[in-house]
Amino acid sequence: MKKHFVALCLLFAAFFAVLVGKQSQVQAKTYTIGTDVTFPPFVYANSHNKYVGIDMELIRTIAKTEGFKIKIKPVGFNAAVQGVSSGQFDGIISGMTITKEREKTFQFSTPYYESGIVMAVAPKSNIKSLKDLKGKRVAVKTGTQGATYANSLKKKYGFKTVTFDDSDNMYNDVKTGNSAACFDDSAVLNYGVRTGLGLKIVTKPADIGKYGFAVKRGHNQKLMKMFNAGLAKLKKNGKYEQIIKKYTGQSATSAKKKANEKKDDASNTFAGLIKENYQAILTGLLETIKLTVVSIICATIFGILVGLLGVIPNKFSQGLSTTIIYIFRGLPLLVLALFIYNGVPSLTGSKIPAFVAGIITLTLNEGAYTAAFVKGGIDAVDSGQMEAARSLGLSFGKAMRKVVLPQGIKIMIPSFINQFIITLKDTSILSIIGILELTQTGKIIIARNLQGFRVWTIIAVIYLVIITILTLLSKWIERRIND
Amino acid sequence: MTNLKVDVTNLKKNFGDNHVLKGVNFKVADNEVVVLIGPSGSGKSTLLRCLNRLESPTSGKIIIDGRDISDPKTDIDLARQNIGMVFQHFNLFNNLTVGENIELAPVELGKLSKEEAAQQGKKLLKAVGLEDKFSAMPQSLSGGQKQRVAIARALAMKPDIMLFDEPTSALDPEMVGDVLEVMKKLAKEGMTMVVVTHEMGFAKEVADRVVFMADGKVVEEGQPEQVFDHPQNVRTKAFLDKVINV
Repeated sequence: MKKHFVALCLLFAAFFAVLVGKQSQVQAKTYTIGTDVTFPPFVYANSHNKYVGIDMELIRTIAKTEGFKIKIKPVGFNAAVQGVSSGQFDGIISGMTITKEREKTFQFSTPYYESGIVMAVAPKSNIKSLKDLKGKRVAVKTGTQGATYANSLKKKYGFKTVTFDDSDNMYNDVKTGNSAACFDDSAVLNYGVRTGLGLKIVTKPADIGKYGFAVKRGHNQKLMKMFNAGLAKLKKNGKYEQIIKKYTGQSATSAKKKANEKKDDASNTFAGLIKENYQAILTGLLETIKLTVVSIICATIFGILVGLLGVIPNKFSQGLSTTIIYIFRGLPLLVLALFIYNGVPSLTGSKIPAFVAGIITLTLNEGAYTAAFVKGGIDAVDSGQMEAARSLGLSFGKAMRKVVLPQGIKIMIPSFINQFIITLKDTSILSIIGILELTQTGKIIIARNLQGFRVWTIIAVIYLVIITILTLLSKWIERRIND
Repeated sequence: MTNLKVDVTNLKKNFGDNHVLKGVNFKVADNEVVVLIGPSGSGKSTLLRCLNRLESPTSGKIIIDGRDISDPKTDIDLARQNIGMVFQHFNLFNNLTVGENIELAPVELGKLSKEEAAQQGKKLLKAVGLEDKFSAMPQSLSGGQKQRVAIARALAMKPDIMLFDEPTSALDPEMVGDVLEVMKKLAKEGMTMVVVTHEMGFAKEVADRVVFMADGKVVEEGQPEQVFDHPQNVRTKAFLDKVINV
């Protein structure tokens, strides 16, 4: 019996290894580029959920002229920066300002855009300058130049900063009045204001900086060379000008504003929102379901194995089981996800696809909880049952399978159902590593249409519906087992 | 003594600092019925549980049917097939029917086919007076019925020796008789039995030999009349005074 467990464990590990190995081989041929899709006009998702903007058109056009392939990872600015420094991504293009500090870790291309930091406030706000911020709260986006700028001034002007992971939440915090102002790149805010963002800019661009495409220092030199060469070509043949104009020119922004206003009519109703985004939502929902199903299966197998290791009368296996449960139940899911996705690759140098990293994260975390209640369920079966079975000459494994487990499983079923539902909900945390599941889809849609309340309502209802379906399914299985 | 079934020499068992068995010598002959008596905490049940290694001895030697039970290298699962055990709390498998309880071990261990096991199960149930309970779940039985099924279950492996660990202690008084009846029948058929019990009447009537234990040691042993009517040891006397004069 013990041998079987070890064999199964190894098989399980091998399964993951193969999965990881295969995926990274495929990806090695294309460059993965991290970005933040809530950063118009540089990067954003259009209504067909395609990533567009200056950065996207630049990198795509350069890739085409220089003959390489790219894969865009819309993980948010902070995760993209970490992803490149850990080797998870090959490069980042996300309106990233070139700074001395960043140059320690990253190597930047020739600058492709110039921009400064401006302050924006709500339309009716009477804040006019930095001086008016005394005692107020200011919204910034994690890891951005705007945040650095705000933090360098907060002592002098006596304000507090609150950080967000994407631009949209930062803007919303100002619009709702929670924060008095926000700091962001002037190009971005200018574009936003002109396309109906609903904020006003009150300062002149300061702390002027240049945007560059970046790779990890000393890595991906070929990619960097190709980018610089491509950018030079585009500047020469006028394509560069075209792209900039397309996204910042007067005609572009007013057209977008009109589109936004027109869309607002549709976006003002739930039906309109669903009609407009159903494809994106459906894709996100499918990803959530995929994540849930695969991780429920993996976590259940892993959890049962670890739980059984904990009841084998062998000190080593019991210690191993206890340790696994202790570690993975003790780690916050978010930390575990970031550790596996960003931490491990920077140590080992091999990339892990986000989906696989997500599955591993959920398997370890949910599996640890599963192991704990599997162990508990077995322990809850009267020890006399095992003794009686052993006294007849049955081996430990046979006694476990035929007598103890069938009784333990009945005790465990409610915990299993509970754990399935928790797993489903926990998939939303994986939006942090850029998996385009339901929650991340919601974030991206809102970045485009700013309909926070309605979109989150739709997303919440969808979660409730699938949780209800999952619950009913589990109860049905429970009845079948108990009969 | 003729053919030795059980031969225990200098058996010691510690639970941490608690020395439960302090060097027990204990023998059982073929077809012999031995009743272990003594105050609670004297080590009777521990001695019994060492005989099929539900407790592993700290030191000493246990030979049953020529097999060294105390040797960790002995295939204990194989040895146990020959040693039936009946527990105070019955320990019927709650997930199985009465019939399945009895069939499980012979079928799983390849002794009988499913059909043969079912046939044998019905026969055994009839012998303990419960032929109508074949398809019942253990939860629906009374304590006395459960214990009789447990005896049938142990007999299904056709053991040479049966161990009884206070088989009637958890029963309502009116159930005790049925269980003892089954055990008497078994004794008459020549089964070698080691019984830990407080049923002095049963001991007097059925036992070939009574062993009195106190404080982890065998204090006195002999034929029932001898131990009950003319106890030699002070502690035996004191114990019997308390138990019999209730």
